[in-house]
Amino acid sequence: MTPTEPLVHGAAAAQTAERPPLPVKMVIAGGFGVGKTTSVGSISEIEPLTTEASITEVAAGVDDLTHTPRKTTTTVAMDFGCLTIDPTLKLYLFGTPGQERFGFMWDDIVEGAVGGLVIVDTRRLDDCYAAVDYFEHKGIPFAVAINAFDGKVEHTLDEVRWALDVSEGVPLVVFDARERGSVRDALLVVLELALARTEG
Amino acid sequence: MADGSPPPGADPVGPAPAVRPFLVTAGRVADTASGRTMPVETQVVATAAGLGALAGLSFEQHDIVAACRRPQSLAELAARLRLHLNVVRVLAEDLRAAGQLTVHVPDVAATHDASVLRRVIDGLRSIPDSRGVLRDTD
Ligand SMILES: Nc1nc2c(ncn2[C@@H]2O[C@H](COP(=O)(O)OP(=O)(O)O)[C@@H](O)[C@H]2O)c(=O)[nH]1
Ligand SMILES: [Mg+2]
Repeated sequence: MTPTEPLVHGAAAAQTAERPPLPVKMVIAGGFGVGKTTSVGSISEIEPLTTEASITEVAAGVDDLTHTPRKTTTTVAMDFGCLTIDPTLKLYLFGTPGQERFGFMWDDIVEGAVGGLVIVDTRRLDDCYAAVDYFEHKGIPFAVAINAFDGKVEHTLDEVRWALDVSEGVPLVVFDARERGSVRDALLVVLELALARTEG
Repeated sequence: MADGSPPPGADPVGPAPAVRPFLVTAGRVADTASGRTMPVETQVVATAAGLGALAGLSFEQHDIVAACRRPQSLAELAARLRLHLNVVRVLAEDLRAAGQLTVHVPDVAATHDASVLRRVIDGLRSIPDSRGVLRDTD
């Protein structure tokens, strides 16, 4: 018998019979510093983890030599948290950085998501256009969550809606990324929207 | 930003992943049998055969199988093992092909099903406002 002989079989077989839960995914998007990581951390049952993922950026203009759009792959930090609903169902939250020129290359992270939450800091509204456009284009149910830094919102909801040019069907909520109940309620707004769509 | 200062808490990009995993995966991109990239929430579980073969596996593969004694998502694995998501995708697919992992790509129809969404809604509603404090129901 070799010293590396694995001591497995019966016990291991039983251990691995565990069926994984059905993972339901939601995406939290927005510009840098708007409160994505804070939101994930407020609701997740684990400390938020950060993973490196690739996004493909399609550069404006074309490559001089080949006349094809220049694509570059960029590594971004993606936050991640989860919440066990029951042993067969788990909610996964992914915080994706929302920069200007992403085009529609978030698919790698977002594909299959039941809904999205776009976090907005009213002091720099334009940081979230890319995310709003993305969810609208993809037809993914989403809400806009205004993070009231220090309890202050610089614009009225109507002003924000007008500035973002989101349709009436997109809920706007004011929330606090640090408050678990507040993040929960914002996610519930998105889930209700997703549910209404299945029933619509 | 109007004042040009760096945004608060700019997303940290952790230490650059080691070059080695890229060599291990030889730049491949993992797709499922259907040609779809495995979603980040895909669940991965070690098989008895995988756990049995642990001692013979190389570093990254060993770590992945060992971490999957309990179901893990690809994202979780990448974060915990500090590997790039695409590296985990490729290695997980290899390990699945070798019978050492089972890979459960979520069925979009199932996750978007009304009854599933209702269960998520009910589950989320029942969580307290802050940790340890029960929420007032209406
Ligand atoms: N005052 C206040 N600070 C917040 C709030 N949400 C987030 N922050 C802080 O803003 C900074 C950026 O938040 P973070 O979640 O890292 O943003 P991210 O880049 O979108 O992930 C952190 O220092 C947070 O503590 C909030 O609602 N109020
Ligand atoms: Mg962050």
